[in-house]
Amino acid sequence: MSESAAVPKVHQQAQYEAQSMASILLEQFLEHRMAVIGFSVIAIFLAIALLAPVISAVSGLDPDRQNVFNRYQPPGSHLDLSTHERELRVQTFLRQSDRSELVRFLADRELLEFAVDDEDLLYELVTQHASIHLAGMLLELQSEAPDSARSDLHALRNLVAEFRSFHLLGTDELGRDVLIRLVYGTRVSVTVGLLVAFVSGLIGLLVGSLAGYYGGRTDAILMRFTDALLSLPILVVLIVVSAIDLGKVFGGTPLAFIVESRHESVIKMILILCLFSWMQAARLVRGSILSIKEQEFVLAARVLGAKDRTIIGAHIIPNVIAPLLVAVTLGIGNAILFEAALSFLGLGIQPPTPSWGNMLNNAQEMVQHAPTLAILPGLLILFTVISFNYIGDGLRDAIDPKSIRR
Amino acid sequence: MTAYILRRLLQTAVVILLLSYFCYLLMTLMPGDPVDEMIMANPEITSADIDRLRALHGLDQPVWVRYWNWASSIASGDLGYSRTYRVPVTDILGPRLLNTFVLAGAALLVAVIVAIPLGVWAALRKNSTADYVINLFAFAGISVPSFWIAIVLILVFAVYIPIFPAGGTGSIAFDMTPWESFVDRLKYLVLPVLSLSFLSIGTYVRYTRAAMLESMGNDYIRTARAKGLGWPRIYLMHGFRNALIPLITVTALSFSTLFSGAIITETVFAYQGVGQLVFESIQSNDFNVAMVAFMISVSMVLLMNLIADLLYGVADPRISYA
Repeated sequence: MSESAAVPKVHQQAQYEAQSMASILLEQFLEHRMAVIGFSVIAIFLAIALLAPVISAVSGLDPDRQNVFNRYQPPGSHLDLSTHERELRVQTFLRQSDRSELVRFLADRELLEFAVDDEDLLYELVTQHASIHLAGMLLELQSEAPDSARSDLHALRNLVAEFRSFHLLGTDELGRDVLIRLVYGTRVSVTVGLLVAFVSGLIGLLVGSLAGYYGGRTDAILMRFTDALLSLPILVVLIVVSAIDLGKVFGGTPLAFIVESRHESVIKMILILCLFSWMQAARLVRGSILSIKEQEFVLAARVLGAKDRTIIGAHIIPNVIAPLLVAVTLGIGNAILFEAALSFLGLGIQPPTPSWGNMLNNAQEMVQHAPTLAILPGLLILFTVISFNYIGDGLRDAIDPKSIRR
Repeated sequence: MTAYILRRLLQTAVVILLLSYFCYLLMTLMPGDPVDEMIMANPEITSADIDRLRALHGLDQPVWVRYWNWASSIASGDLGYSRTYRVPVTDILGPRLLNTFVLAGAALLVAVIVAIPLGVWAALRKNSTADYVINLFAFAGISVPSFWIAIVLILVFAVYIPIFPAGGTGSIAFDMTPWESFVDRLKYLVLPVLSLSFLSIGTYVRYTRAAMLESMGNDYIRTARAKGLGWPRIYLMHGFRNALIPLITVTALSFSTLFSGAIITETVFAYQGVGQLVFESIQSNDFNVAMVAFMISVSMVLLMNLIADLLYGVADPRISYA
C-alpha cells in the first residue's frame, strides 16, 4: 500500500522538473477559456485574410466589380449580369472557336419568338431570356443535340450559368458583393492592426529601454515627451494628422514612391498609427527595466565587464519581452479600432480598397434601407478586437507569476 | 502643493505651445490652402493675382513667420474668422464647447452609475455566471467601435422604434417654454450619451472589479467578518470605500478618452460639439477654426488630467506632492 503510493509521487516529481517555462505558460494560457476561443477566432480570420484571392477566384466574385443596376440588394440575392456584360462574354465565346454547328442547331429549335440572323442569334438569346430560364432550356436540348454541337452546347450552358451570381450578403452602394469586400477588408484591417502593434512595440522597446537604463536626463526628456503624447486626446490628434497630404511631406524625397503606390492610404494609416501608439509600451518597458536593473544578475554581468549593449540585449530585454507581448497584443485591437474610426470618417483607408471602417462610411446614410451593410463590418471589428483583447488577457494571466499554480 | 501645481501648469503650457506649432505645421501640410480655394472659385484669375493674393495672406512667408503672426494675433485675443460660417471663431466656439461638456459629462455620469454596481457585483460573485456575463459585457464595451454602436442605436431607437431623434442637438422651435426646451435637449442627448458611455462602462467595470477584489482580500475584511458585522457594512464601508481610490483616478483620467471619443459620437449624431467642429473644419479647409478648436480641446484635456492628478492626492492621503 505504502509502496504503491510512493511510486506516483516520484513520477510526479520527475514530470514537474521536466516542465519547461514555455510549457507552463502554454498550460496557463489554455486554462483561460475565452483566450483560447479568441485565438481560434483570430486563426480563422487570419486564414480568411491569407486566402482572400483564393476565395475570390473560387466564388468568381470580385471586390471591385460594380453593378450599378443592382445596388443595395438584400442578402441572399441572385443577380444577373448586365446586358452589356453578357454580350461581351458571348462575343468572347464566339471568337474562341467555330461555333457554327451550335448556332445552326439552336436556330432550328426556334427558341426566340421572332426570326433573327444566325450571327445575332446567341446575342438575342442571352439578352431576351433570364439566365436561369435559358440554362434550363439548354439543359433540355442537351439530349437532342447532334454530336457535332454537343460540346459547344455544354460550354454555352456553363457560360450562361456564370451570368448569374449569388450574393450571400447582398450588394453595397455600387452593387459590389459585400461578402468578398468583407473578406478583403479582413486582409486590410488585420494587416494594419498587426503591423502597427508590432512596430509600435519595437519603438516602445527602444524608447523605454533607453529611458529606463540610462535614467537621469535621458529618462526625464524621453518620459516627459511620452507623457505629453499620452495625455493628448488621441483621436482628435489622429484626425488632424491623417488629414495631411503625404505628397507635401515626401514629395521630392526618396520616399516619394509611397505616395505613388496603389496602397498609399494603407501605408499612411500604418505610419500615422505607429507614431501615436508606442507610448504605453515605452512606459511599460521603462518600468520593468527600472526594477530589473537593480537585480543581482545585472550587477554580476557588469562586474564581469559586459558592455551596455550586451546587458540590455542579453539580460534586460528577455525579461521585458513577456509584459511587452501582452501590451502588443492589446495594442492590435486598439490599432484596428483607430483604423476603423478614421476610415469611417473618410480620413483613413481610401476606397476602392475595402476596409471594415470605410465600408461603414457609406452604410450610415442607407441604414434604413440596407441595415446589413452597417451591421456586418461592425460585428467583424467587434469579434476581432474582442478576440485580441481576450488573448492579451490570457497572456497576462499566463505570465503573471502570482497566478501560476503548481 | 502650490509649487507642484505651478510646475505642472508650466509643463502643460509648454506642451500646449509646442503642440500649437506642430499643429500649425500639420495644417500647412494639408491639401489646399485659402488661395487654392479662391483659384478654384474664380476661373478667370491671373497668375499675377495669385501671387498678390498669396502675399496678401502671407502664404509666401516661411512657416515659422506665419506661425508667429498667427500666435501673436491669438495672444492679442483675435481668434480669426471662420471661412465656412462667415463669423468670428469666438462666436462659434462658446456654445460648441458647452455642448461637448454636457455630452461628455452626462456620458461620464451614466458610465459611473452603470459600471460601478456591475463591477462590485462581479467582484463579490467571483467566477459565477454573473461574473462571467459582466466580464463579457465589459470586454465587449472596450472592443466595440464607438461609431458602430452609435449606428446600431440609431437603427434601433430612431428607425425601428422611433422614440428618439436620429441626430442633431435640439429642435428648431421658438415657442418652447424653458422646461419644454430642456426636455427637448434631453431627448436629443439620450442616444449620443448612451453610445459615448458604452466604451467607458467597459473600462470602469474592469477597474472596479479588480479594485474591489483586491480590497476584499485584505485582512481588515476578515476582521470585519470576525466581528460579526452585517454584509452591507462589510462590502460597502470596508470593501468598497477602499476600492474607491484607484477608481477616482481612472474616472478622472478617462475624461480625456471621453473628450476624444466625443468627436466620433458628435459626427455620427450631427451633434454640435467641438469635436465635430474640428472634423468639419478640417474637411472644409477652415484652418482658423480647426486650429483654435483643436487647441481648445487639447488644453481642456490637459487641464482635466492635471485636476485628476490633484484629486488623486485628495483621495489618498499617502500621496504627497512635495
